[in-house]
Amino acid sequence: MPGSNSPRDSRIEARPGEAIDRSSPVVFGFDGDSVAGFEGDTIASALYARGTRVFSRSFKYHRPRGLLCCSGNCPNCLVTVGDEPNVRACVRSIEPGLEVKSQNAWPSLRFDVGSILDRMHWLMPVGFYYKALHRPKALWLLARKLVRRVGGLGSIDINATHSEEFSSRNIHGDVAVVGGGPAGMSAAQAAAEAGLTVVLIDDQSALGGHLRYIGQVAANTGASERPAHELAAEMAEGVAGNSNIEPILGATVFGLYQDNLLAILTSDGLVRLRARHVVLATGSQETPLLFENNDLPGIMLSSAARRLIHLYGVLPGREAVIATETIEGYEAALDLMEAGVRIAAVVDSSNSTQGEAADAVRERGIRVLSGHRVVRAYGKGKVKAIAVASTDGSSGITRIRCDLLCMSGLPQPMDALLHQMGASQPGVSLAGGVAGAATLEETLAQGRAAGGEAAGPSAPSINDHSPRNNRPALAPAVPAGGNARTYVCFCEDVSAHDIEQAIDEGFADVQTLKRYTTVTMGPCQGKMCGAALAGICAAHAGSDAAAAADTHTTFRPPYQPVPLAVLAGRERMPMKRTSLDRIHRDLGARMVESGPWLRPHSYGPPADECAAVRERVGVIDVGTLGKLEVVGADAPKLLDRLYTHSFSDLRVGRIRYGLMTSDNGVIMDDGTVTRLAEDRYFVTTTSGNADVIEEWFNWWNAGAGNCAHVVNVTAAYGAVNVAGPRARETLVKLTDIDLSPNRFRYMGSAQGEVAGVPCLLLRIGFVGEAGWEVHFPAEYGEYMWHAVMDAGSEFGISPFGLEAQRILRLEKGHVIVGQDTDAVSTPMDVGSDWAVRFDKEDFIGRGGLSVAAYRGLQQRLVGFVLLHAAAPEDGTPVVSGGQPIGRVTSARISPTLGVGFGLAWVPPSFAVEGATIQVLLGERPVDAKVTLDPVYDPDGLRLRS
Amino acid sequence: MSFLLNCPNCGERGVSEFRFGGEVVSRPSPGAPEREWTSYFHFRPNVAGVQHEWWNHRYGCRRWFQALRDSTNNVIQTTFWPGERPSG
Repeated sequence: MPGSNSPRDSRIEARPGEAIDRSSPVVFGFDGDSVAGFEGDTIASALYARGTRVFSRSFKYHRPRGLLCCSGNCPNCLVTVGDEPNVRACVRSIEPGLEVKSQNAWPSLRFDVGSILDRMHWLMPVGFYYKALHRPKALWLLARKLVRRVGGLGSIDINATHSEEFSSRNIHGDVAVVGGGPAGMSAAQAAAEAGLTVVLIDDQSALGGHLRYIGQVAANTGASERPAHELAAEMAEGVAGNSNIEPILGATVFGLYQDNLLAILTSDGLVRLRARHVVLATGSQETPLLFENNDLPGIMLSSAARRLIHLYGVLPGREAVIATETIEGYEAALDLMEAGVRIAAVVDSSNSTQGEAADAVRERGIRVLSGHRVVRAYGKGKVKAIAVASTDGSSGITRIRCDLLCMSGLPQPMDALLHQMGASQPGVSLAGGVAGAATLEETLAQGRAAGGEAAGPSAPSINDHSPRNNRPALAPAVPAGGNARTYVCFCEDVSAHDIEQAIDEGFADVQTLKRYTTVTMGPCQGKMCGAALAGICAAHAGSDAAAAADTHTTFRPPYQPVPLAVLAGRERMPMKRTSLDRIHRDLGARMVESGPWLRPHSYGPPADECAAVRERVGVIDVGTLGKLEVVGADAPKLLDRLYTHSFSDLRVGRIRYGLMTSDNGVIMDDGTVTRLAEDRYFVTTTSGNADVIEEWFNWWNAGAGNCAHVVNVTAAYGAVNVAGPRARETLVKLTDIDLSPNRFRYMGSAQGEVAGVPCLLLRIGFVGEAGWEVHFPAEYGEYMWHAVMDAGSEFGISPFGLEAQRILRLEKGHVIVGQDTDAVSTPMDVGSDWAVRFDKEDFIGRGGLSVAAYRGLQQRLVGFVLLHAAAPEDGTPVVSGGQPIGRVTSARISPTLGVGFGLAWVPPSFAVEGATIQVLLGERPVDAKVTLDPVYDPDGLRLRS
Repeated sequence: MSFLLNCPNCGERGVSEFRFGGEVVSRPSPGAPEREWTSYFHFRPNVAGVQHEWWNHRYGCRRWFQALRDSTNNVIQTTFWPGERPSG
């Protein structure tokens, strides 16, 4: 059985500091096999331990790929976990029962039919899709199908149902430290000791950074060596013991934005961190070396091999070659040797590498090939041997057998976050490997200094700590004559040959190379290939290598791939509910969203509700109305300025319809304005518009020097509209206020008690019957509802919902702003000229309406009545002679007339009483008569009764 | 966009708490020619540089204030109440 290998097979003896717990076995599935690992293992480490070497197939040529970085920075170990594609196996911890599947391979990782593409690579030169498949035209249609089938990474299970939701939260801190290695931890400690609050973010499961996997370390020059993981644990303990530091582990900072906003991807969602100061301690990263077949499984970064050993107790190979450009390769050699790996050779591209580790390697009799580099790797699905040649070409090729090749290229600072900001960012410090620190001592000192800077009086400019000042010229030495199988970009299978060819075609700088070859465009976003790309570009274009080190493609967020679900976050559209919400639900109302509110659409058949209002009495929850109080000596002046109508001449206790336009004359809102006192008005706005209108009032009031104050009391008051021929009889039972027709007239108001509750009564008639809008303190909502319902029960009172109200108001020809009007509708267009007072000195909209009046009417909102009981859908075209000439804004079947009717925009020539227009019923145009009067009670006799 | 704005009432807050109110422009007098009005409705200088703007602290004190913002890099030079524009 393939899965029966014990996890101990390539495990070495337990060592202190390892991340796995050997007493807790964990079993999970991989491509149908059952795989055993330990608690603390990643998917990759568990698979590597049981002998897996091929982890994925490459994007374009389906070449076998193995572990490369083992730190979540390359595309080589992408797998599908459950229904989640493109999971990095080297950072995802194993859990019992996890179902892991390999990607981009069919039928299996080992025998992938798609690998035939590898032999056909000459057919697909760089940018082939720009050059070929154009003629005949149909060829592209065929090719597109194929390309779409084979393209892409992983596949999305469109039937997957995601129960998980991601949250997002905002946090603040004095200092954000990105990177929990020695530099980050010492920076965090220094800042915390200065009394600052620190958030320390690291993408691994534990603090320590590279100290967790490098074996021995000397913390001070001259001090004796000690296990690095002990120092890491000691520092992590210090961090844990400091209450000023909040560590966030297993999280990636994927964006650094203006004014130090950090976007952090965590396992349960998005965290936005705003910090006064940011310390970037993101370290440095080895990058792959360039030689033929440099993508064979078994070829990995030396840090990857050391992670396997120290974190997971996995032997990365039996016989290794170390290819290095720095002293770090020698350190890796010693480390691997100590773990039991035989070192076949250290291949050093430099002739002059000095250091204790180099001496130690030589002392132990390890073969060192200075001034040499790897030129080729051999093997099929796994490295078997490598070919080495001298860099100056003075010697022939040497072949060395190995099953592991560790690459230790010049470390590149992981400074993408810094570059995302583009120009200099105040309040950002660098520390450690990212700033070019070469020794642990330097790293710790830089960390302490960065933490101190955060506490300092003035934030330093980033330029003082630019990595350019500290680091050596970093463009890697790139041999000319790139091979088609020398991979620069592992994500997109772009070879050195491809890049050289593209340069020859004229794409000579990194930005155009990126767009032409897709290099750096894959999941790793240039982490593995950026340096090599710059190097090739420099070498081939003959420019200075040091200058090339500073050329890179533009860094943009996100630094790591971020699932869209994380960015989308949780559905957070909290609906507003009125104080009567529970009653509506108890009555079984069908609720609908209306702007920000949840409102009853209807409690039963809307026609019955209409009949109740027309024949008896109905009650509707209108607590959703926007309610503003405008108070102060200049309140009349402010309202005169904001509404087209005049309110300074409104008598106390009276109500006037208010129409509000923007300055260019377009209707913004309408409502009623009640004058409660000389210096006090009660203003209602359309439902859902309260906040916007409040802002509008305050905007024109801002800096105007008015003694006028606007208070939004929308949430403070509940309201019901009690309307119908028996509304008066109903309310009379509840109040001492004189409701008789001559005393409480239409468009009048009164304040007094209703059912013992202090109320404001407004006699208005949106639905066209005698009725009162009763406004009361919101906390009395349910009590008021029951009081009104009890009082009205003997008259056959019925609640009515939004739908009935819409029908009833439509019968009265009342416009709903936003439903019947749009972004160009003026008061004249809807026939509300009477509400515009051009005799006022000035008002908002005057200029626009003057211009509109000068231009003349372009369209007109009119009523229409059909000949039979059918209603066109809202928005259907009005036609004439087969041509559209307007559109229906609202249409229903009138319970009063028994036929379809509504409101529609028509050209002014049709805005004549009795004119014939046609509206579409489905596909069929039917005749309708234009009416300028309301279809119900045109003289308003019932309204005023 | 992630820059900070200093609300004259509440202090420094993230821009997502605010509503942008556009450029501060002067409104023509009621009797101004039509051309002046249409230009006021439809045209704004929209400079690449420091711009005088309205802002509203929508998710805070809900007050309107003004700012001098560099439209090329979102650096806010200063914020102030309407009519209190600092000299210089």
